[in-house]
Amino acid sequence: MDPRQRPLLHRRLGVFKALAWSLVAVLILIYAWLQLVRQGEFRQLALQQAVKVRPIAAPRGLVLDRNGYRLVDNRRALHLVIQREDLPTRPEVVEALALALELEPAALARKIQSYRLAGKGRPLVLKENLDDAGIALAERVRARFPFLSVDVAPRRVYLGDELAGHVLGYVGEVDDELMKAKPGVFRLGETIGKEGFEASGNDKLKGVDGQRRILVDQLGTEVANFGQSDATSGRSLYLTLDAGLQKVMQDAYGEEAGAAVVLDLRDGGILAMYSSPSYDPNLFLNRLSQDMVDRYLNNPTRPMVNRAIQGIYAPGSTFKLLVALAGLEKGVITPQTVIYCSGKKNFYGRDFRCDKPTGHGGLSLVQAIAQSCDVYFYEVASRLDIDDIYATAEKYGLTERTGIDLPREKRTRIPSRAWKRKAVPKDPKWYAGETISVGIGQGAVGVTPIGLARFYATLATRGKVLTPHLFYGFRSDQTNQLELAPSPPTKETPLDPKLWAVLDEGLYEVVQGGTAAANPFIREIAREASFVGKTGTAQVAAFVDKSHYARQAKHLKDHALFAGYAPHDRPQIAFAVVVENAGFGSTAAAPIAAKLVKYWFVDRLKNPLPPPRGRMVDPFAPAPEAAE
Amino acid sequence: MKERLRALDPRLLWIILALMVLGTLTLFSAGRNTPQATIWLKQTVWNLMGLTLMLLLAATDPRRILRYSFPAYLLGLLALLAVLVVGKKIGGATRWFVVGGQTFQPSELMKWVTLVYVSQRLGSRPADSIGRLELLGAVGLVAFPMLLVQRQPDLGMALSFLPILLIIPLMKGLRMRWVVALVLLVTVGGFGAWKFALKPYQKQRVMIFLDPSSDLQGKGYQVNQSRIAIGAGGLIGKGFTSGSQTQLNFLPVKTTDFAFSVWAEERGFLGVLLALGLFGLLLSRILDAAKAAHTNAEAYFCAGAAGIFALHLLVNVGMVAGALPNKGMVLPFFSAGGSSTLSFFLALGLIMGILYRSRVK
Repeated sequence: MDPRQRPLLHRRLGVFKALAWSLVAVLILIYAWLQLVRQGEFRQLALQQAVKVRPIAAPRGLVLDRNGYRLVDNRRALHLVIQREDLPTRPEVVEALALALELEPAALARKIQSYRLAGKGRPLVLKENLDDAGIALAERVRARFPFLSVDVAPRRVYLGDELAGHVLGYVGEVDDELMKAKPGVFRLGETIGKEGFEASGNDKLKGVDGQRRILVDQLGTEVANFGQSDATSGRSLYLTLDAGLQKVMQDAYGEEAGAAVVLDLRDGGILAMYSSPSYDPNLFLNRLSQDMVDRYLNNPTRPMVNRAIQGIYAPGSTFKLLVALAGLEKGVITPQTVIYCSGKKNFYGRDFRCDKPTGHGGLSLVQAIAQSCDVYFYEVASRLDIDDIYATAEKYGLTERTGIDLPREKRTRIPSRAWKRKAVPKDPKWYAGETISVGIGQGAVGVTPIGLARFYATLATRGKVLTPHLFYGFRSDQTNQLELAPSPPTKETPLDPKLWAVLDEGLYEVVQGGTAAANPFIREIAREASFVGKTGTAQVAAFVDKSHYARQAKHLKDHALFAGYAPHDRPQIAFAVVVENAGFGSTAAAPIAAKLVKYWFVDRLKNPLPPPRGRMVDPFAPAPEAAE
Repeated sequence: MKERLRALDPRLLWIILALMVLGTLTLFSAGRNTPQATIWLKQTVWNLMGLTLMLLLAATDPRRILRYSFPAYLLGLLALLAVLVVGKKIGGATRWFVVGGQTFQPSELMKWVTLVYVSQRLGSRPADSIGRLELLGAVGLVAFPMLLVQRQPDLGMALSFLPILLIIPLMKGLRMRWVVALVLLVTVGGFGAWKFALKPYQKQRVMIFLDPSSDLQGKGYQVNQSRIAIGAGGLIGKGFTSGSQTQLNFLPVKTTDFAFSVWAEERGFLGVLLALGLFGLLLSRILDAAKAAHTNAEAYFCAGAAGIFALHLLVNVGMVAGALPNKGMVLPFFSAGGSSTLSFFLALGLIMGILYRSRVK
C-alpha cells in the first residue's frame, strides 16, 4: 500500500513538523533572551576581559654618591604575575598552579586570598626576576594557565654589592603589617624601601605609577593599546657618601667585625659608614632562600644589624673626654689639676686599677688623656655626681639619637639616677662606685659609633652638635647636576675655648706621644696627615642585645675603639671606629682611622678617581688602595 | 549530467547552499589569526565533495541503496570495533581512523547506516502497527552501535542515535502516548533523582560514566565564554570578523563545537534568526520528503533523518547558549569536519533521491 495514502503516517509527520518548528522557536527565544534582553550585561563582560588597565611601575630614582658615582641603578627585569582581575578562584586551579610553579599550595592560596582582600594595585607577583630557565618555565606554565602574564618592571641593582649594604638597604614588596599600620598610604604589591636609605628616603626615591589601557587576547597578550598615562620616575639623588672612602673603610675591616663612621664637619654629612660584616642588598630583592636565611638572618655575627647606628658599645677610654669636659665645666678640676697615679686607687672600699699597674705618677689633664690614665679619671668621676656627667652628655647631644636619616637608630645609653630607676627597678639606687666605672667609659654606659663620632665632631667644631645625614641633594632633571639640599639643623653649644684647647691638646698628644703613638704606622701617617683622637679598649662586650651579649661574653677579647678628627689645625672630618674583640684601640682601631685619614687627605687628592660619566661607570673597579 | 542535475530538489538545494555560505563565512572569521586560518578553504573542499556525493545519490534509485543496507550495517559495526583497537586516541577518546594524514570518524557514517538499515528492516514489514519483537529488534539494532560508540567514549555521538529509536517506531504505528510517557518518565525521573535522591559522589560517578572528560577541559569556562559571545552580539552583531570574543580567542573550539557562537556574536540576533529559519526550512523540507516517499522504508528514513538533524540543531545551538549540557555534538554546515560533512550530504543525497522518485512517478 502506498504510504502516501495512509493517514497515520501523515498525522505523525504533521506532529513532527510542528515539533520541528517549535524547536526552532524555542531556540530563537533562548537567543532573544541572551542577545536582546541580557545584551548589556554580556557586552560588559566581553569588554571586561578584553580591555585591561595595567599599571606601569615607575622606576625609583637612582642613588649616587657625592661625586655622582652610581651606588644604586635600575635594570629591567621580568616577573611572572597574575593581573588582579584574572586571579584564579577555584581551589583546584590554585593547587595545580602551585604545583606547576613548585610553590607551596597553601602559601599560594593565602597569598592570593590576602591579595584579593586588599585594595587595587599592581599585579600579584608569583616569580620575580626570571632568568632564562625561569622564562622557559613561565612560558610552559602559561600554556596551561592562560591567566598568567609576564610583566616587565624595573629592578634595583646595588653596584657595590656589600660596599654600603647597611646604608643603602634594599627594596621589596610592601608587607601586610605595614599596609595595616598605615592604611591608605601604600598600594598592595607596591615596591618600597625596606631597609637603609631605600626605606628612609622612600618618599624621595619613589615615582608615580602610570597606567595603560590595552586590548588583550585570551592569553593576556597585548593586542592593541588604547592610550596610557606615563609613569613618572622617582628623582635621582646624591648621598653625602664618598664611594672611594667607603671602599677604603670596607677594605680596612677585612674579616673583622665592627663599625666606623666618618662625618663631614661642615654640615654633618656622612662621608663613609660601614658595618662589618656587611650584606649584599642585591640578594634581598628575591625571595629569601633557606641558604640566605642561614647566611644572614640566623648568623650569630648578625650581619643584618647596622652596627654603626644600632650597635651599643662600651666607649671605654674614648668616653674620658666627656668626663674631662664634665669635670672642667663643673669646676672640680682645672686644666692645671695634677693627679697622682700609683697604678690603682681605692674608692668606697674597693680598689680600682689603672691600665698601667706600675702607675703613671703625677699627671696633668693633657698627659692623662694622652696616656689614658684610668686613675686620673676615677678621681675626676669621684668628684662628680653621675647626674653631672649625664647633664654634660645631654648638653652635647650624646643622650639623644643623632637623628640620622636611616631607620631604627638606637639611642646611646648614658646612665643617670633616673635611668637606673627605670632600667633596674629591682635595684633602683645609684651607687657612687658605679660613677667611678663610668669615669673610664665602662659600666652601664654604652654608645653607638654614630653617636661617638658626633661627640668628637662636637669637640672638633668647638661646640657644634651636628645632625649626621646621608641625603645630599636631588639630581636636577634639566642639568643632571647636584641640587644641594639644605643641611639638617645644627645645635650650637658654646664650648669654652680655654677648656676646648686642653682637650684638643690631649687628643693631639695621644697620636704624637701617647697611647696611639706606640704604633709606628700611626706615627707615620700622622706626619703626612695630622689627625688627633682617643683610643679606647672596652672590657665589656658589645651590648647589641641580651642574647648577643651572652654569646659575646665567651669572647674575652676587648673591643677596640678610636675616635677623633682631622686635620688637627683646621678639622674637616670626625670619625669613630669600633673593632669588635680585637684587643687594644691603638693596634686594632687606630690603624683603620689612620687609613681613612690618609685616603681622604692624601691619596684621594694624589690619585683622584676617574670622573663619573655615562651609564654604568663602576667606580669600584679600580680600588683606590690597589692603585698604589 | 543534465539528467542528474534534474534529480536535485531545488528548494532543498537552495536551503543547503544558503546554510553552506553561512557556515563558510563563520569558519573564515573563526579561523582568522589562528593556526587554522585556512579552515574555511578545507571545509569548502569537503562541502564540494559532499555536494558531488549528494548529486550522485540523488540520481540513484533509493531502493538500490537500501538493498545494501544490511552489509553496510555489518561493515559499520566492524568499523566501530576496529576503531576501538587501531583507532587514534585524541584527547582521551578513540574515535578516529587515520588514513594518509586525514582522520575519519566511522561513527558519523554509522549513525546514518543504522538509520537506513532500521528503516529498511521495519519498512519491509506490515505498516501501521508494531509488534513487541519488532520493537525489541529495532532497539537492539540501534543499541549495539550506540554502546560501541560510548566505549570510545563519545556520549554526544551515542545520543545522536536516539532519534532512530524514537521516530521510526512512531512512524510504524507505536502509540504516541507511549513515547510521550517514556520521555516524561525519563526526564522527570532523571531530574528528580538527580535533584533529590543522588548523593554528590554518585552524581559524579554518573557524570564520569557519561563523559569521562567532562571536568578536565573546564567546560564551564567554555560555555561561559560562548554565552558572553552570543549575548554581546546583540541585535545586529559586532560585524563580520569583528567579534572580540572570537577574534581575541576567548571563545574556545570555535571552528567546531562553538562555531555557531561566532555567527551569533558577529551577526547578532538577526543572523541567528536567519540561520535558525533556514534550519527550520531544512527540517520541514526533509519531512515533506517523508510524506512524498514511495515506500515505508523511505518515509521512515526521511523522518529519522529529520530527527537526527533536529537533535544536532537542538543540542549544539542549545549547548553553546548554555541551555543544555556541554556534549560535543556538531552543527551541520557550521562545524568544520570531513566525516560529519560527508555523512550529512550522504543523507541529504538519499533524501533528494527519494524526493526525485516521488516527482517522476
